[in-house]
Amino acid sequence: MSTVPNPLALIAEVTHRCPLHCVYCSNPLELAGTQAELSTAEWTSIFRQCGELGMLHAHFTGGEPLARTDLVELIAAARTAGLYTNLITSGLGLNETRLQALVAAGLDHIQISFQDSREEAANWIAGAKAHAHKIELAHAIRRHKIAFTVNLVVHRQNLDHLEDMIAFIEQLNPERVEIAHTQYYGWALANRAALMPTRAQLEKAIEIVADAERRLAGRIRIDSVVPDYYAKYPKACMGGWGRRLMLINPAGKVLPCHAAEVLPGLSFENVREKALEWIWQESASFRKFRGEGWMPEPCRSCDRRTEDFGGCRCQAFLLAGDATVTDPACSLAPSHSIVESAVREANSDAALAQPTAASSFVQLQKQTTDLWSYRTNPE
Amino acid sequence: MPPPTDASQPRLATGCRWDAESKTAASKTGTEEYRMILFPEGAIKLQGTGRQVLEQCDGQRTFGEIIAELQKQFGTANPEKIRSDISLFLEQLQKKRIVDY
Repeated sequence: MSTVPNPLALIAEVTHRCPLHCVYCSNPLELAGTQAELSTAEWTSIFRQCGELGMLHAHFTGGEPLARTDLVELIAAARTAGLYTNLITSGLGLNETRLQALVAAGLDHIQISFQDSREEAANWIAGAKAHAHKIELAHAIRRHKIAFTVNLVVHRQNLDHLEDMIAFIEQLNPERVEIAHTQYYGWALANRAALMPTRAQLEKAIEIVADAERRLAGRIRIDSVVPDYYAKYPKACMGGWGRRLMLINPAGKVLPCHAAEVLPGLSFENVREKALEWIWQESASFRKFRGEGWMPEPCRSCDRRTEDFGGCRCQAFLLAGDATVTDPACSLAPSHSIVESAVREANSDAALAQPTAASSFVQLQKQTTDLWSYRTNPE
Repeated sequence: MPPPTDASQPRLATGCRWDAESKTAASKTGTEEYRMILFPEGAIKLQGTGRQVLEQCDGQRTFGEIIAELQKQFGTANPEKIRSDISLFLEQLQKKRIVDY
């Protein structure tokens, strides 16, 4: 008899291999190698279990999911299991023929991320020449009966020309745009100083997005979130720990979120050894921060505890060194000064003196060379 | 985007679809059976009139026909209210990019 409602969606990290090397990649710093990757049959079994649990969506991500040569089979298996299939991709490795095969296999939705509207800057952020191909692919996608979202990753280095980027995306004609501020985990935390926007940049961006929403209403839906360092309350990370989502990494580890492996003292089950239902319902890792029992003050007595669930456990650990405290992004958190000082630093005279909107790409590159670390591929 | 006209042919937008029938049988809240519409980043649960309306939005039937059908079913209710309620319902879903017309 199950006591916990089953998850709604699976995030399927089918590989950590990727032709891009983005400076804000959400993958862990330690990546799963190719040898350890789950097989086609293992993923098929996972999707079947998800269907039986009444889950609704399978979000294919990575790394670059297209790096899996069996991706068409995996999409078909997820669809057969009754799941809505969403491919989150850079588009590298996708041509018209393969796109057609994916659509025929039952792909419902494709999401392509753009790093910028300016080709040089986009390629530089991604550490690969990808931009021109993505544009071509966006046009190809519109020739198929499939939903299309453009994901635009924004940060200090590109936020000043958000208007241009939105105009650029309009031409690609998606149903939906996601304007995603970089979140400071993994590679983005390592590169935070170069990525965090200034308060002035952010305020202007909020206005621009509101304008675009009005102008594009009924044509393109815009989903945008304020970065949590500047918010009053923390984000409801993953909709609460072990509450709605589960993530399976390339090697079969089942995680409550992208970053959970950074948390010390927790061990995660592998789908090669245990059934998904047991992992979701019974495993110590999924129960650890589920519900309210683990909550410290001020969360425990806070009215917002059922809305934001105490914020993000990984951020609490990464910033405050303790996964069991209130997310430091919360203005009520005892450790909020950590976030305040990062924000202060990002808005300090010294930081502001460095032009955020560099007049040239070369200038931008010079300015941040020392700060950047690119995510590389696993062995 | 203006509200639908009598000649509009409402349909689920690209990438939005009903959940598999096989799952519907098990999906109940209380006694009423519901169905889900799945879309890229979520799903909506439909039962009652909302479900009835959207099940008719097949891209073939016109808005006028759908209204007429529901006005017939809810004979005693105010027919103009039925029209304006359904129009608003479809307009809201269009803004979310779940319905086109």
